[in-house]
Amino acid sequence: MMGLDFLGLTVLALMIILLVIYLAMGKRQAPIFREIPAFEALKGAIERAVEAGERVHFSLGTGSVIGTDVAPALAGLATLAEIARVTSLSDRPAVVTTGDGAMAILAQDTLRSAYTQAGALDRYRPIAARMLGPTPFSYVASLPTLLSSEDVSVHILLGAFGAEGALAADFGERQNCFVMAGTDDVQSQALLYATAAHPLIGEEIFAGGAYLRRDRAHLASLRVQDAMRLILILGILLEALLGLLGVDL
Amino acid sequence: MRLGSYLLWAAVATAVGILVLLGYFVQLDAIPAEGWLQSIFQLRLLLMRWAVLLAGVALFVGLINLLAVHWSKVSEQARGWGYSAVFLLAFLATLILGLIFGPDSAAVLLFFNYIQMPVETTLSALLAITLALAGFRLLARRPDLISAIFIGTAFLVLLGSGPGLIPSGGMLDSFFGGLRNWLAQVSAAGGARGILLGVALGSIMTGLRVLLALDRPYGDE
Repeated sequence: MMGLDFLGLTVLALMIILLVIYLAMGKRQAPIFREIPAFEALKGAIERAVEAGERVHFSLGTGSVIGTDVAPALAGLATLAEIARVTSLSDRPAVVTTGDGAMAILAQDTLRSAYTQAGALDRYRPIAARMLGPTPFSYVASLPTLLSSEDVSVHILLGAFGAEGALAADFGERQNCFVMAGTDDVQSQALLYATAAHPLIGEEIFAGGAYLRRDRAHLASLRVQDAMRLILILGILLEALLGLLGVDL
Repeated sequence: MRLGSYLLWAAVATAVGILVLLGYFVQLDAIPAEGWLQSIFQLRLLLMRWAVLLAGVALFVGLINLLAVHWSKVSEQARGWGYSAVFLLAFLATLILGLIFGPDSAAVLLFFNYIQMPVETTLSALLAITLALAGFRLLARRPDLISAIFIGTAFLVLLGSGPGLIPSGGMLDSFFGGLRNWLAQVSAAGGARGILLGVALGSIMTGLRVLLALDRPYGDE
């Protein structure tokens, strides 16, 4: 006996159709989104770091590629591609760290692609992307040495973090770095709000590609998120109204 | 040629992604003994096993990469090279002991119980102090209404749940206990669900971009 989750498939199909429509529309009219202060501040911080010959550190978190918490790190890779391109010609190119071996390999690939696009492949070093430690706290324990020995002035945390994310952000603040941090876990977001100077709240972590790269696919996907959120809100309100009227769905 | 190979990788990644994803939308009472459906399920299972295996190999590659980083620091006598030397020695000692006596031997467990565990526990304890200090720093760094509400709420929840902060059994205890429950179960839970909806939509769209090869974390050349 075989059963299909029709509702799930319908929602998935709707999202794909909306993505295709917004991708096509994006050619004619660029969407306008609200300002996210952390991304605006990041652009200036990276420019200052490149001019001062200081390094950008990018953390993809402690999640694994085959885990359920891979999405924020994948979003982080999209942001990393742009940051690597901008810093590729700097005296001190960006360094990337992660708590997972497979994620380190993906980060190396992203760096190599960015360097190739910037015409600076000869400056690419595989050890610029590295796995610091396989457990959350061993990863965090390695950060203070890295931040001080590599002259890091911009400390970006975009990936899956648990409570250790608060320590990771705090180590950056103690080194007087520009600290931007975001993750998908709600409790960790609250910790990062308190410890990082530029926290990303909610789905803002997934907006890096659209805000920094102005990439068409990322812009379209943000519009799909907004449309789906509106549909969900209307659905919740409708269900609440029907519940008040005594209609049980 | 380069474009051809790139398209091939993108097509393989997309096909595998769709096959694994569709498995979540199909419910079967039992996997059929034969036929095309059985072949698809076997293929999906095989691909997922490959993923686990590849993640294991990637951990090994990650360790080699880590060794290369610290080796280059020691050989170039870069700043902080002493820490790298300690790391290399500890790594080699653990590896050799593990290979000779096995990963569950007393010698290897000694490293875990007397070095790794205390360090990780210390960091957990440090987290509590860090968060308390971060609360004060937050008000100095972002002196706005949201920060004040954030700190005020944290303080009220602490009063309602921390033992010994207010006398137990009295009216104050009952008031702050009730307030804590309302904050945690009504306002915080409602807000968290709103945030979770946004995060879930963002996660799905990130996955779809990779699935449709609009994002290519496996190389973009």
